[in-house]
Amino acid sequence: MPRLYGDTDKFGEQNNTPVVEAFHGAIRALVRQKLAASGKSWNDFVFGDAVSSITAEDFRAIDQRLLDYGHRYVWSALVSQQERPEAYTAAQGVGEDLATFSFEHPEAPTAAVDAEGRELRGCGDNVVRYDEDLIGTARYVRSSATVLNYLQNGVPPGTIAVIDDSGGTLTAPILEQFTGVICAGGTVRSHLGILTREYGIPCFMNSKISGIREGDTVRLECTATAKTADAYQKGIEMTGRVWRLSK
Amino acid sequence: MNLTYAQLLETNNLIQQNTDETYWLCLTRTVQESKLFPVSPYMILSYFMCFYRYPALLRKIEQHMRAEDIGDRARNMGIKIQNPSMGWCLPSFYLLGREYLITMGLIRPQDAVEDVVYVMDFWKRYELAWHRNDGHLTNRDFGHRAQVLPERRLQIFHADMYDCVEGDPLHTAAQAFMAATSQYGFLVSCESRIALHNQGPYKLDDEREMIVRDFMDLAEGDYPWLDGVAADMPYNNLTVPMAVKGVHFNIIDDWGSFESQPEFKSEHVVGVGLYTSDTLSEGYIPVGMGSREELTRTFNELAEKAKDATNKLWKRIAGWSRDQMMDAGAITYFSIVKDLAHVAGCYEMEDWMLIDQRAERFRPLLNDEYSNMALWEILGPLSNPCQRTNEYQLCQHANIPARMYSLIPYTILKDGDYTATVGDLQPGITYLPPKEDRYRTTRGVLPLADYNRHARDFTPTVCDDNNRWLCESWLKYHHDTPAAEALYRAEQQHSRVLKDKGAGLRRADVEHLRGK
Repeated sequence: MPRLYGDTDKFGEQNNTPVVEAFHGAIRALVRQKLAASGKSWNDFVFGDAVSSITAEDFRAIDQRLLDYGHRYVWSALVSQQERPEAYTAAQGVGEDLATFSFEHPEAPTAAVDAEGRELRGCGDNVVRYDEDLIGTARYVRSSATVLNYLQNGVPPGTIAVIDDSGGTLTAPILEQFTGVICAGGTVRSHLGILTREYGIPCFMNSKISGIREGDTVRLECTATAKTADAYQKGIEMTGRVWRLSK
Repeated sequence: MNLTYAQLLETNNLIQQNTDETYWLCLTRTVQESKLFPVSPYMILSYFMCFYRYPALLRKIEQHMRAEDIGDRARNMGIKIQNPSMGWCLPSFYLLGREYLITMGLIRPQDAVEDVVYVMDFWKRYELAWHRNDGHLTNRDFGHRAQVLPERRLQIFHADMYDCVEGDPLHTAAQAFMAATSQYGFLVSCESRIALHNQGPYKLDDEREMIVRDFMDLAEGDYPWLDGVAADMPYNNLTVPMAVKGVHFNIIDDWGSFESQPEFKSEHVVGVGLYTSDTLSEGYIPVGMGSREELTRTFNELAEKAKDATNKLWKRIAGWSRDQMMDAGAITYFSIVKDLAHVAGCYEMEDWMLIDQRAERFRPLLNDEYSNMALWEILGPLSNPCQRTNEYQLCQHANIPARMYSLIPYTILKDGDYTATVGDLQPGITYLPPKEDRYRTTRGVLPLADYNRHARDFTPTVCDDNNRWLCESWLKYHHDTPAAEALYRAEQQHSRVLKDKGAGLRRADVEHLRGK
């Protein structure tokens, strides 16, 4: 079997992640095989046979091989999971299981109910500092079906959206109607952070929360200092707290 | 092409500059993610498209207009060949595609060398022209600043903007417009921020700075997914010069985003204006700038149109398949430099709105997990084998022995063991509905053939042979000449405050005039 240019790499080692290493290793093996089969020099092969003989079917087989080993891909766009449920890990908290679902971050700070009836359930990076804390009703927004429902029927007043998408597109048509946002991902400079700032909606990004269920009354400490770019670069913790209020 | 040592030295330097800046941008900016769009998969697909198509498309464009001439045109309007498109995306999307193929063993660093040299040279010439007034290659080169506009345009933005304070109707309307249009821009661009651009800062006085914010590709135009839903958007590009007080913009980067000290908030905005422009306009055309009330009303109307288009577009996208989302995202990224072809008058839908078949092959690999991890490895730890260098090395910003983009080996100058090019354009495919032949321009909604013809026939006055060399350095010493006077008057033709005021004004004069 012919050797590839990278086979004599003095410094290169394996990729960090198993999926990438598995895919890239399989592709390199495929290229060696196709190069040998072509009988051509590399220079004649690279933009000729390498393009025509290495096909989508070859790449599909590489993807399938990992599934056959029992691997299931972690999804990030819900459409990926919905179109290929057999290839991805299960989606939770996007359907009928919503009533019992909650984000569970292992580093979420928690504490028992205090004298004011506040139960600490997490923290987040405050996008903008406001004069008063915010109290509202937690409602998970994790799928386009939920967004469409709110788009057609309106977002209930006082909704603090609990989201794990730091982007600005999933909630685009209803974002302005939220009273507040708790986002489990991103930073204050994520698209969602940028947009909530523009709309003047209190928002925590990179939130680490635990045990907050659909319909819980929550309080956001958005009087906390807004997290700065400098704090991110230097790894300085600068968070506001999230409480669940006693019913 | 006879490759020379000097060419390779320069090309490798340009590659390295992109390596250094890309790492910094990724380190200090945020990840881009979405539960709606498969973002990482479409990004990687787009990088392959860029590698296979940019060389042929850029050569095609230069058959009509040179890169540096397009840069001159772009410097005088707010279209989508500023940042991040040209400052970062053109070279880095192309180099990311190349790097993925290298690490997969599908090409070597010395493959498609003439393409690499050409693409980087195109980028350099364009950037130097676009940055002509500040004399830099990139914002990075300028310590993260972009002072692109000439004095004559800055004077008009300064003179004609309306003062505002937080809570007044104009301030409220401008803020609502920018929020709604930013959100619409993210959706149009499939979660990327490439519909937005900021340049500056420009100093208005000791307390105030001005940044110029562009919102681009808002109307029915190149993107098939805007057909119908954006029919009511009356402008494809909108520019908002914005005066701020009490903050200094210390970073305007090559992604067109900014940072300030102290942190910028809407309360800092003390003046706004509104303009549109495109390939067919004589620079910037005022929008709703006849009076404060008209501008307030215009901002409010445009915000409502942006919200309406957002709702319609969101419903369309929510019904898409993953392949359609992949196509739209990849096309958005790949076509980020498409306005080069519009300026040159050679834009073709098939060139820019289809997935090249050589890139399309890779789609089955691009599941969410692989794509997220592959993107992280190439941009974060730089852990692909081809990115690792000898252990003595400390790369800029990360202090690890790695280089994001592989350099071209110099041995090819002696042994000739390299390949020149990926070849000509090849067919493409798409899962999206076909593009309708409607393009919103400043001369109305045109079919593409007319749009291209008008672009080829048109030279803005400030770019014609009489004016294009009247640079800021020359104007400093010749502001009292008829040529300078004519140039400033041409720029001032639509100005409410400065019409026919000519070339002799200084900043304090402008401030005095706007107070009258």
